[in-house]
Amino acid sequence: MKKITYFFFVPFLLAGCSGNEKTIEVYDAFEGAEKRVEVREVLDRNDDIYSGTAIFVDNELLVAVQAKPWLDYKKEKIEKELTKQFEEQFSDLNVLVSADYKLYWEANKLKNEKDQKRVADGVEKLKGLVKEET
Amino acid sequence: MEQEQYKNLEQQVTPPTPYFMNALKAFLVGGIICTIGHAITYFYIIFFDFTEKTVGNPTVSTMIFLSMLLTGFGLYKKLGQYAGAGSAVPVTGFGNAVISAAIEHRTEGVVLGVGGNIFKLAGSVILFGVASAFFVALIKLILVSIGVVQW
Repeated sequence: MKKITYFFFVPFLLAGCSGNEKTIEVYDAFEGAEKRVEVREVLDRNDDIYSGTAIFVDNELLVAVQAKPWLDYKKEKIEKELTKQFEEQFSDLNVLVSADYKLYWEANKLKNEKDQKRVADGVEKLKGLVKEET
Repeated sequence: MEQEQYKNLEQQVTPPTPYFMNALKAFLVGGIICTIGHAITYFYIIFFDFTEKTVGNPTVSTMIFLSMLLTGFGLYKKLGQYAGAGSAVPVTGFGNAVISAAIEHRTEGVVLGVGGNIFKLAGSVILFGVASAFFVALIKLILVSIGVVQW
């Protein structure tokens, strides 16, 4: 019985150890390669996050990041820092940076979307969700 | 028999309390309950329009609802006997406290029995929860007004 328990539990516990690579993805409706590289660089430089997805559409820049598990309490600080950096770099865009899982999940869904209108609508909806307090 | 003698005898006969095992059981079961809570959190985030900021309310109500069902079926009692504080401290323990009091007094009628006793155990949780929330909010309001912190 004990052996069976170990058999099931050890892989379960070790599953958390895999996948330490940083994944950064950028969706760009305008194919602006320069911007894409700049966003990637900023996210790459930040040591507090392990994953990030950026979406450029219309006048909006949505950056959804995930803080490293032990740095969850620093989320707001990470958001503030990144917002400041992106606003300086892309002063012509409305920047929204969020470390919320909902935005990260939806952004990853949107980045595979082909229809640009749908992406724009999705970003607009997420901006509304962020403001929601209750 | 002297009081002292009785005390010694009693101590010899009583089996030692397994503090470590109790703590371990509470840790494991409490952890499992919290993991289920987290799974529900992700369920609401992924399938509904909730963000991390707003997902707390539906998660808590779902967990309380589940523990109320388990209490009604008599399963939470068994969990409580095994895990102790591990099942009482998470918010599921609150649901258990409400429903178990209602079940206990249901023979006394709906109004005076169930209605009068349903919050017998959980009432103090609600009272002190609301009162402390009020005072914490008051302190924060004062700190924000002075300019020490922001909302």
